[in-house]
Amino acid sequence: MITEVTNIVVEVLPQFEGYVFPNEAIAQPLWSTLIVVYPYITGLVAGAFIMASLVRVFNVKALEPVYRLSMLTALAFLLCATLPLLCHLGHPERCYEIMMTPHMTSPMAIFGFVYAWYLMAVLLLELWFDFRQDFVKWSKVTSGFRGIIYRALTLGVTDVSEQSVRLDMKMEWILSIVGIPSAFLLHGYVGFIFGSIKANPWWGNVLMPIMFILSAIVSGIALCVFNYIVLTWIRRKTVDMRCLDTMAMFLFYALVVDAVIEGLDVFHRGYAAEEGFAVLQTMIREKLFYTLNIGQVGIGTLLPLLMLGSLQLLRRRVPEAIRRTMIFCSGAMILLGVLAMRWNVVMGGQFFSKSLRGVMSYKMEFAGQEGWLISAVILCLPFIILTVLVKLFLSEQLQPSEHEPQNKSTT
Amino acid sequence: MHPFKLPPQILRLVLLTLAIVGSYLVARAFLTPPSFGQYGWYRGDALGLIASRPPVFAGKQACDECHSDILKKLAQDAHKTLSCEACHGVSRQHGDNPDIPPDKATGSHCIRCHEANPARPAWFKQIVVKDHYSGKCTECHMPHQPTQTP
Repeated sequence: MITEVTNIVVEVLPQFEGYVFPNEAIAQPLWSTLIVVYPYITGLVAGAFIMASLVRVFNVKALEPVYRLSMLTALAFLLCATLPLLCHLGHPERCYEIMMTPHMTSPMAIFGFVYAWYLMAVLLLELWFDFRQDFVKWSKVTSGFRGIIYRALTLGVTDVSEQSVRLDMKMEWILSIVGIPSAFLLHGYVGFIFGSIKANPWWGNVLMPIMFILSAIVSGIALCVFNYIVLTWIRRKTVDMRCLDTMAMFLFYALVVDAVIEGLDVFHRGYAAEEGFAVLQTMIREKLFYTLNIGQVGIGTLLPLLMLGSLQLLRRRVPEAIRRTMIFCSGAMILLGVLAMRWNVVMGGQFFSKSLRGVMSYKMEFAGQEGWLISAVILCLPFIILTVLVKLFLSEQLQPSEHEPQNKSTT
Repeated sequence: MHPFKLPPQILRLVLLTLAIVGSYLVARAFLTPPSFGQYGWYRGDALGLIASRPPVFAGKQACDECHSDILKKLAQDAHKTLSCEACHGVSRQHGDNPDIPPDKATGSHCIRCHEANPARPAWFKQIVVKDHYSGKCTECHMPHQPTQTP
């Protein structure tokens, strides 16, 4: 064992430029692509849910066609949200222990409860109330395995009277309202975990939870845009342009607020120029040049702002096909840009230490526990789950019930 | 007047919630290790488990039994605080049976401490190995008596 430790130190020391604290005397940053993917997926969940809440809470009728898709997107991604952490820590079979012996002073232990609350008490409940009357209807007309699933999901309640459906709608509305702060809590909490690390000038920042939530909303709407266009393309349907334009409008507004807050953070750091400012400049100019300036700012913010902004001004003059392509490209670029933002936060904070006297080097692995292959697989998994969910609950053969909640579908 | 009756879907959810919370509590009762929390927020039995592992280091006193001449030299010079096994490798087995050589540590032991590093205090002797010399350190330095030359 001691030989191994000695070898690690001997091999690793030449890889550092300048000085690092002993706890960083490891081959490369401990947190890697998996920890980049974790806040990314959680953000997509929160964003997709908030996008769905626009329909139920704020009564944005134009978005009704994507309500269920957004909710199912949030569910598919939430089911995978903890996977990067489990893979990163190793021994995923011990995952239940965080719930069995919860420690109230550990932010990560509490995250287990935040996650469980959001999944069980908000997302699943709201989906159940929304789908309940359809489950009853579909369970009567579907046989075989699917029929069994629908029957099981009714939980044995077949009452779809007017009064009962009204109660469902009311519950859905209440859950949406509870859901918005819960979604903020879910993702704000991820920002809090980084923002509360006061020893790290790249992370320790009160704006961090807010920036995480705003970028989450942006990425969640972008994901819904992406999924909606891809789904209609796969099904050879026409895109509801009113819905898409409304999504693009909200995406633009969210992106403006997000860009302003992130810009404010940069200005604040620049003006305050605290002790860590020199190393932050090194990060921006050298270590994170491509992912930050090109990925996060260029591809993820400025180009989509330009495209979506011009669409807000010139919507009527731009033909539908071009508008659709522009919105789709903006969505895809934002998704990449927010991934780059997560990378910059997670990796950036590990490249230097409180000593501020040097930076670490990092080379991304392909295979292995921290390789990008496993991260790519985890990022693909929610799309596979979503495909199953869409086949089961947004099937073209099974039409939704006529007892639509207050906002009847416009499609 | 009708007595208050819970709507059927709410009743099912309440029952489901009770079932989930109940199974959580049952699972917790079974899955929490019995010695958990005995001394603190960890498994008390873990201490015994760790203590039962065989030690691998012999310690300086064990080295002194056979190599007291070297230890005397070491004690008179700048490396007096160093442990023998820091450079010579773990030696418990070697101490019990001298025929088994110590677990030889690989790599250069000298540059572990003496490679130039801004983190080290200025009074500490440091070199940049690639500018210093490409041969063996022991050609010019004596690890047991670093202030003397061979």
